[in-house]
Amino acid sequence: MTVVENAEQAKKDPSYLKALTELVYQLADDDFIISFRGAEWLGLAPHIEEDVAFSSITQNTMGHAVMFYELLEELGEGNADVLAHERTLEQRRNGIYLEKRNGEGAYHEEPYYDWALAVVRNYFYETFKKIKMEAISTSSYKPLANVASKALMEQTYHLAHWKMWMNQLQHATEDARERINSRIEEAWSEFEDVLELGSYANDMLKHQLISSEDYLKEAWLKEVGVNIANPPESPLGKKYGSGRNGVHTADLKQALQTFAEVYNSDKKAVW
Amino acid sequence: MYNYVEDGDSKTTAYVEEDQEKYEQFMARIEAGEKIEADDWMPTEYRQALIKLISMHGISEIMGALPEKEWTPKAPTLRRKLGIMAKVQDEMGHGQLLLRVAEDLMKPYGKTRENLMEDLLNGDLKFHNVFHMPTKTWADAGMVGWLVDGAAIMSQTNMLDASYGPYQRALQRICQEEVFHAQHGEAIIMALAEGTDYQREILQESLNRWWPALLMFFGPSSAATTGSSKQDIMIKYRVRKSTNEELRQAFLDKYLPRVFSLGLTVPDETVHYDEKEGKWIYQQPDWNEFKQIIRNKGPRSKERLRLREIAYENNRWVRQALVPETIGS
Amino acid sequence: MDKESDFYQIYEVFSRRGKKAPMQHQFSLLAPNEEMALMMAQENFMRREEVIDVWVVKQNNVRKMSSEERQQWTKRLDNKDYRTTKGYGYLRKKWKEKEQGMLDEKEILSWKEVGKK
Repeated sequence: MTVVENAEQAKKDPSYLKALTELVYQLADDDFIISFRGAEWLGLAPHIEEDVAFSSITQNTMGHAVMFYELLEELGEGNADVLAHERTLEQRRNGIYLEKRNGEGAYHEEPYYDWALAVVRNYFYETFKKIKMEAISTSSYKPLANVASKALMEQTYHLAHWKMWMNQLQHATEDARERINSRIEEAWSEFEDVLELGSYANDMLKHQLISSEDYLKEAWLKEVGVNIANPPESPLGKKYGSGRNGVHTADLKQALQTFAEVYNSDKKAVW
Repeated sequence: MYNYVEDGDSKTTAYVEEDQEKYEQFMARIEAGEKIEADDWMPTEYRQALIKLISMHGISEIMGALPEKEWTPKAPTLRRKLGIMAKVQDEMGHGQLLLRVAEDLMKPYGKTRENLMEDLLNGDLKFHNVFHMPTKTWADAGMVGWLVDGAAIMSQTNMLDASYGPYQRALQRICQEEVFHAQHGEAIIMALAEGTDYQREILQESLNRWWPALLMFFGPSSAATTGSSKQDIMIKYRVRKSTNEELRQAFLDKYLPRVFSLGLTVPDETVHYDEKEGKWIYQQPDWNEFKQIIRNKGPRSKERLRLREIAYENNRWVRQALVPETIGS
Repeated sequence: MDKESDFYQIYEVFSRRGKKAPMQHQFSLLAPNEEMALMMAQENFMRREEVIDVWVVKQNNVRKMSSEERQQWTKRLDNKDYRTTKGYGYLRKKWKEKEQGMLDEKEILSWKEVGKK
């Protein structure tokens, strides 16, 4: 494997650079949007102790997004804050399931947020993130491999936390089981693009940036199969399309309007 | 963040006959600087005043997370998003520490955290006046961190030697984190103060709006203003050291010069330091309004309580699902 | 139906800052079971400090001294010089007369490096 040590080297091969930036956008946008949804939950969790623990995970995850945006900055894509706040819907690469609103209502008004969705979504995402980060920790692009190894240091706790919630609620009351199961069913029809790498998947593999989509998907199915009581029999789906190709829902539009509201109020300003 | 607030119509505690000998021993202990622990004998008046103080303090932290939380997902840069999340998380964490302290004090009455939440939602447990106010712009997120927390730090550090051990230890942790909060607030404010016309404008507008609430923060200077005051009891039992007015003066001492140094003004032309009297002269805020605010009739009282209520009710199934017997632990 | 308030069980939280540090009590928290208590503990009380180990224990399972026991059992007379180096301080002068140094705490604890010269 040819190791690419830094951004200057990566920029010399246009095909490499393109596949690399696409991958890093996906990583950055996934972590950014799920931590945005986490930030909306702040103060609304089932009990105070959980609120505090959940927020640490959210902060860590946004911290990972920052590291990925900074990699893009080095690759010449522009300033990290600009990348996070200014890109249009079509330019965003996160999986669509991750942009889904936390439930009915808004975070500051009538937030009928669903803890079952939070548990299922975060458990599914963190399970996948571990697999993906491990695959990337041996990436040909050294700076990316380094960031993945760093993210894995904290991420183990995130996964353990959500796995605990998943296990406990699945084996609690009938009501809890039903709520979790119905969110699992829903996720099953929407989660697939999170597991995918978009139209540059082959180039990513060719340049040894990450393993194949098939491997990632299999590894995820195997892992969640161990922990969920009744995995749906239907195949995985991506009901709303693929976020990896810039397809998104109104939920991401709401997110974008919210997280860029102050940023957009005065673009000349230093905040 | 915190201060003890009173609406003047608190339920009066029934007079309880205390064991005179135990009472004297107790007073001797606190006067010798000893710390009282949760299972030590204590006068009913002390226990009840502490429950009221600490549960209000704790629940104010929880309610205090909400106004800033409105700006958390909206924070204008990645760094600010992270900073304000950590700050609001701390407020929830402070609520956790304080409610644990209050819960242990309430044990003899068979009350738990569930009762505290219910008391909040039905209006029996009050929360601090500042958290009934709207946060209209990003500058408010800075203002809460800088001046509201500044005022909170002033009143909390005043209790760092409190006679009640568990409260004193919680405050020690809280005050250490407040140092970060103060600097987080200052950083937001500094960027606005040195920023564009728009930024300076929202900053000044925010200060104008928050000024009366900041003065009210420390409570009335005497019972005469609002009809009751527990400050004397708190001083007698060595929970706090200074009066409301002393704390307000200390706050103005520390912060007004900084406010002016940023080129900001306060909406009170009479504000000045009187060298002869050695204190700040200011126009009294409207204490009737204060009473209304803490009776949950403030500008955002209903909405904030509604948020808490939804979070509480909407997650009830989770708490019910995990009561220990159900999962067989 | 079990009582919802039973969700709130009290756990005491302990942690260690480093390999040489002892286990130290931090605070208490509410959780429905020990798995969750452990999962909450670190982020609730040790967000900003080094931590290498965490314990949680249900408060009911801690046999604490009662208020009376604390006040009665923790008092000692100040007559136990013989148990401490304080009672042997006169040796310093004796050794000095014999032109020897005192093997005090500082000296003895420095022996962990002995033989390394």
